[in-house]
Amino acid sequence: MVTELTNQNFEEFIGNNKVALIDCWAPWCGPCRRMGPIIEDLANELAGKVGVAKLNTDDNGAIAVKFSISAIPTLLIFKDGILVQTLVGLRSKEDIKAYVMSV
Amino acid sequence: MIIGAGPAGLQAAIHAAKRKADTVVIGKEMGSALFEAKIENYFGLAGVTKGADLLATGQEQAESAGAKVIRQNATSARQEDGSFAVVLESGTEIRARAVILATGITRKKLNIPGEAEFLGRGVSYCATCDCSFHRDVPVVIAGDESEAAVSAELMTKYASTVYWASDSRDVDDALMEKTVAAGVRILDTTIAEIVGTEKVTAVRMADGTEIEAKGVFIELGGKSSADLAMDLGILPEIDDTLKVSPDCATEIEGVFACGDVTGKPWQLAKAVGQGAVAGLSAAEYAKSGR
Repeated sequence: MVTELTNQNFEEFIGNNKVALIDCWAPWCGPCRRMGPIIEDLANELAGKVGVAKLNTDDNGAIAVKFSISAIPTLLIFKDGILVQTLVGLRSKEDIKAYVMSV
Repeated sequence: MIIGAGPAGLQAAIHAAKRKADTVVIGKEMGSALFEAKIENYFGLAGVTKGADLLATGQEQAESAGAKVIRQNATSARQEDGSFAVVLESGTEIRARAVILATGITRKKLNIPGEAEFLGRGVSYCATCDCSFHRDVPVVIAGDESEAAVSAELMTKYASTVYWASDSRDVDDALMEKTVAAGVRILDTTIAEIVGTEKVTAVRMADGTEIEAKGVFIELGGKSSADLAMDLGILPEIDDTLKVSPDCATEIEGVFACGDVTGKPWQLAKAVGQGAVAGLSAAEYAKSGR
């Protein structure tokens, strides 16, 4: 399941998951809409191992500013609450999985 | 309605028009990968043939068969009441019962220094996606055609200053007027290098000048095949190609695709063959009144 994050529950989520994958997106962004199903697949495949969540940057600008996001889709990968990887642009499921498993 | 005036689109137009379907082709010959190509592996053509010559002849053939060719890019598309509407860069809207996407694969990158390095740190390929991250800062738009113009106009609602850099603009007059009226500053040169430290700070232009910028939007060509497909309800593959059945139908009834946009091999012979199939399929669909 993909958790919907906000400015309020973001820190809690990355703190509660040893590895967290966050999909930063917005509704009017075409590549983001294509990334959506990939992230849902990854959430199912990585359930129990990686916390997978989405953050709408339009509604939650504070997090976008905090992590200097200037293009979406952007994927943020956290380990032990620390940002270890930023991936900008649409990517394949295999590509994302390889990054997540390597952190 | 055929979007794309390359070999796939024009062959589709020839076949659809000969089957007495009202046929319109939207696109620019220079948007086709064939335009700059030299052909020496096509059945029946001896020696080396210039792609541009084939396109010119193909367009004449399509027009003689009864198709109308409109030399503009599409800027958006939508499904509506069992038919499809496409908006041209002039703002004119065209409606059709069936659509053939023959857009090719859009080149997205400029391949200039700083482009890959600053992706997501000021460099963007989607103004629609990333406009709101560039409020009250200067930005530069790169691209020669409608997508650059549309993006530049959009960015005037967000950025402090919007520059549009191009040394060979090819846009409809109405769109150009709209873009200038929105306050876009026109630069008749191209971006040579994107510079910055952590993030983009400036762009160096081919004419030697340097412009302060926090954002660089690279918007080449017309609206991309993937974006047009999504407008019509089709989810493209990760490499921007579209899946088609043997009769060139996509997942959306009434929408067909042919040529490079359906994936490899990126060959003239395949584009022409698929164009013929798509033209016949779309003509049959459009005339069936289903």
